Parts: sequence; C-alpha cells; structure tokens
Amino acid sequence: MARIRFENVNKKYANGFHAVKDLNLDIQDEEFVVLLGPSGCGKSTTLNMIAGLEEVTDGALIFDDQMVNYMPPHRRDVAMVFQSYALYPHKTIFDNIAFGLQMRKQSKEEIERRVRNAARRLEIEHMLDRRPGQLSGGQRQRVALGRAMVRDPAVFLMDEPLSNLDAALRVSMRAEIKELHQEMQTTFVYVTHDQAEALTLADRIVVMSDGIVQQVGTPDEIYEHPANTFVASFLGSPPMNYIDGEIEIEGEDRALFRHDSVTLRLPENLSRKLNTDSGHRVRLGIRAEDVDEKGEVVEGQIIRGTVNSVLPVGSDQFLGMAFGDDELFFRVGKDLRHKTGENVTLAVDVSRLHFFDAATGKSLVA
Amino acid sequence: MSDIATYSGRRSLRNRFGYEERSAIFFLAPVMAVLMSVAVFPILYSLYLSFFQIKLTRPNRTPFVWFQNYTDLFTNELFWTSVRRTVVFSIVSVVAIAMIALLVSLLLNQNFRGRRVLSTILLVPWAIPYVANALMWKWIYDSGYGALNGLLYQLGFIEDYVIWLGDQDKTLLLIANAFVWKEVPLATILLLVTLKSIPADLYQAARVDGASVWQRFVHITLPSMKPGFMLVMIYETMMAIRHFDLFFILTEGGPGHASHVLSWHIYVETFRNLSFGSGAAMSYVLALVTFALSYLFIRTLGRKV
Repeated sequence: MARIRFENVNKKYANGFHAVKDLNLDIQDEEFVVLLGPSGCGKSTTLNMIAGLEEVTDGALIFDDQMVNYMPPHRRDVAMVFQSYALYPHKTIFDNIAFGLQMRKQSKEEIERRVRNAARRLEIEHMLDRRPGQLSGGQRQRVALGRAMVRDPAVFLMDEPLSNLDAALRVSMRAEIKELHQEMQTTFVYVTHDQAEALTLADRIVVMSDGIVQQVGTPDEIYEHPANTFVASFLGSPPMNYIDGEIEIEGEDRALFRHDSVTLRLPENLSRKLNTDSGHRVRLGIRAEDVDEKGEVVEGQIIRGTVNSVLPVGSDQFLGMAFGDDELFFRVGKDLRHKTGENVTLAVDVSRLHFFDAATGKSLVA
Repeated sequence: MSDIATYSGRRSLRNRFGYEERSAIFFLAPVMAVLMSVAVFPILYSLYLSFFQIKLTRPNRTPFVWFQNYTDLFTNELFWTSVRRTVVFSIVSVVAIAMIALLVSLLLNQNFRGRRVLSTILLVPWAIPYVANALMWKWIYDSGYGALNGLLYQLGFIEDYVIWLGDQDKTLLLIANAFVWKEVPLATILLLVTLKSIPADLYQAARVDGASVWQRFVHITLPSMKPGFMLVMIYETMMAIRHFDLFFILTEGGPGHASHVLSWHIYVETFRNLSFGSGAAMSYVLALVTFALSYLFIRTLGRKV
C-alpha cells in the first residue's frame, strides 16, 4: 500500500547537472505508472529518488503521509529491478532471491517458502542451485523479478527491465509484468524509453524531457491528445508528420489549414476546439496511420505527393512521400504496390488532425 | 604426368604452411633463437648438470650420479632448515601483503581530496629496484646510524641503539617487513583494479535489499575480489619463495642460520661451495615447488569464480 507524491522536487548533481526540475506527481496506490522519455531526461533519477538511491535536492517526496526524503532505501519498503538485473554473481539463484529476506532476518522456513513460491510462479524453480552466470538473459530477468517479488514490497520499481532482452522475449515478458501487477496489487513505477512498453503496460504515462514532465495521462490521452510536439513525436512509429502552415477561420465552426501545396478543411468539432485566430502560424500533425489511400477523394481532405521510398514492414508498408522539402511517412495497406516516383493521393482523416503552436510547440486542441 | 606429380608434390609442402604461417615463422625466428639460447638452453642445461657431481674445486672429476643430488637433499639438515625459513618468510610476507593491500585499495577506492597524490606516492616503493630497496633497509636497520634506531630512541621507545638484524628471533620478520613494503604497491593496484570492476548497481541492489555497509562488504566486495586475491597470492608467493636480494644484502643468511632461506642456500651451495651439480638440483626443487603452489592456488581459489 503506497501512494507516492512528488512536491516541487528537484535533483541537482554535485557537478551542477539539473536532472529533475520542479517535479509534481501523484502516483496512486496500486497504480502502474510508466516514466517515459529519451536517455538523460531524468526518468531514472526520479526512480532512484523513490528507491532512496538518490537524495532529493529540493522539495518533498511523500509516501502515503510520510516525507521520506532522508529515509534510507531499506526502510522504504520498495523493491527494484535493475536494467542490468544486478544479480549477485557469486550467489546461487536461491540466495539471490532470498538475500533481501535474509537481510531482514526472516525465519529460514519463511524464506524457503517465499523463494519457492516466487520461483514456481516465475518457472525458475529448477535452476535455484545455479549461478547467474549459467543463466540466459531472460532467465536472469526472471530471477531479478523474483528477488523483488519475494519481498512483497509496497512499491515495485523497474528501471528499463526489458531493454537487454531480444524482441520476442520482450513482448512476452511485457505481458508477464502486466499480469504480475494485477496479482500483486501494489504500486508499480516503471522506467523505459520504449513507447510500446509504456503504451501496453501503463495505467498512466509520465512523459519526461530534459528533467521536465511534458505530459501525464493514460496511454490513450498521451497518444490521442499529445500536449506538445515533443510528446507527439516521441510516441508513434513512424513518428508524427508535421506540416507548417496557417489557420484560416471562416466562421464559428469552420476552419481551414493552409499550406503552399495543401489545404485541409477541419471538421466542426475540431474547428470549435481550435483555440486560435486567423493567420496564426501553426504546425499540423498527422499520424502515419491517419490516412487512407483508398479513401474518397474530397477536396480539403486529401494530401498529394510523390512516393520517395517504400518500406514494407510485414503487416503493412510505410510510404515515404516527398512533400516540399520534407519527407512525410504514412502507413498504408500492403495490397497496393507503390513505386518510387509515383504520384499518390491520400485521403486524410481530418477528424484526427493535431495542431500545435508553431512557436511554442504546445497543442492548440488539447 | 610426371610434371604434374612434381608440381602437386611441391604444392603439398607449401600447403602445409600457408602464407600467413610462413610469414609468422619468419618473423618469430629471431626472437625464438634468442629465447632458445638465453632461456631454454640454460634451463635444460641446468637440469643436465643436476645429474652430475660438479665441484669447480675439482674440475676434472665430474661423475654422472643419476638422482643422487636430489636424494642427498633429504638428509641435508641445512637444506630443511632453509625450507622452514622460506615457509615462515613467505607466509608472513604474503599474508601481510594481502591484508595491507586490501585496506589500502579499499581506501583508494573512495573519493576524497588528494586521492591521486596518495596513489602516486604509493607507487614509489614499486619503482625502487630490489637491490636499492635492500640497501635502503640496511641503512634503516643499521645498529650504529640507522633511521629506525634514531626514530625509536628519540621517541623514547628504546634506551639504547639495538642491533636489529643481530637478533635471531627478529631477523626474518624484519626482512619480511622490507619485502612487504616493496610489494604492497603492486598488490594494491591489482586489488584496486578488481574493486573498480565491481558494477555499482550490485551495491544499489544490496542497499534496496537492506544490506548494511558491512554486509555489502562481506556479500559483494569480498567475493568479487576473489580473482584479484588469487593473482596477488600467486604472484607474491612466487616472489617470496624465490626472494634473494634482501637476504644477500641485509644478512647473508645470518645471524647463524636465522635467515638462511632456500634461495640463499642455493646461492651458497653453487657460488661459495662451487658445487654446481647439487645447486642445480636444488634450483629445480625450488622451481617445482613454486609451480605446484601456483597450481594449488588456482585450483582452490579459482573455483566458483
């Protein structure tokens, strides 16, 4: 049982690096929160502060009703899974999992029972006598999970736990971590730079960049209503396409997006939401999947261009389209064969367009 | 037909060593020749000598005696004395070196002001040649003008200057002290490298697991240092068993036979008694013991790493 609150938390390192800036975050009990961002964005530092491995420079870190800024890690009732797994190389798997319980002076029978249970749950029971060096990456990952599980902690912390696994294993472990969260019913805080992991696992995602929280929201909110261009670009594969242009207001609920070679007519609801004036410089965002090559060709809802590259990705294909000086990437079905140099017309799902302020990058429709 | 046969015959010879192997042989040949003449030949020649009774005082009578030089060792009382001295000297030295090096390496693994300066100063004994080190300690231990006497006298620990190396009970320990002083730097560096290679997240994991400073040391640092310890033990044991310079310069095996170690015994036998055959035999025994000990260390410490 733990609710974790950050109140104006800052982390500055001795060398002057300001890793986390004015962090305000409220993580609910039993919530699965993913800290997402590129390397160096402060997500791991934030996790380490929860663990107690890094000291809070400024502000308050609160567990339930208790400020824990100066509480050492072992008194915080947290367990952590490290990116490198950090298994003790000279201890057996059993002792690796049991170490935390041994340090807490649990009885031998209790340790034995808990370790066996965790090992059975993770299907590593038959390798308890081995050493980490004899295990594969996936098995080590399970041991690291087991070591955290047996402690039955109030908070479960994970620092990029899947990044050293191969792609197939990563997907299956993702599902298993999600199951684990449902079974254990504790607070999970998970750090990753992988948007797919964040979208599949999280109850809520915290997107960070340069030590600043960019957006907090459910995976849907983050993906469908990105607060700014950073969040919009960071999620989605291929990343969101941008076209710089101007807004033209034609009435209460009629707005147009104008660019030298494309004009898009916004649907009513979007026009109403759009919180700007005529002539405002905006950056239009179109997700790669929000086009249809077989859709109806209606003026104001299409985009034309020349095919630059065709990248088949199995289930469908990515189309690189020359557009002015830029290249836009769209996801299209694989039944139509495109050639480079070919002119294509794509129907745009105008209800799903994103608009950002050209200067600040902030969303104009959120 | 015959042309082809000859040709293929020559081909097969060339095929046995490809171009790369042939160039390798060509480039390695000079250094192999040098090694053969200065290392391999003397080693084999001394083995050959160890089967003869050679006394330079009687150069014309050098009978072949099979293993008599070796079997004689079992009844040679002074030989066994020297073995005992060597064992004591080695154990005292190696244990002291390992302990001190461990403490110093743990200290140098911490971040503090002046760490780099201290590391550099630490290396000084390592840079001093063995003979210079021995001469320096001869000075320090000197009974008339030695620094040790001067220091202890001025501090009031002793009433009169002491003839340090003249005391049978202390000689071996004092020589070991000089040896330890010289050897600690290298051992420290070997241990420090091992310490630096321990991943930081192991300590973080242990902190989350609730291990105290001491428990982290016992459960992570010490076991992770095993390979470094192994290296230090093997190397220092080999150095200690074979050490000669300090005994030669400080005591010449004395007083009495108090510091009469094996390497000194071999020296006396060979170059003072001019008995080359038995000297060579003892050298071989020393070499075999060194070899066996290293093997034992690797077997016992090398397990489960």
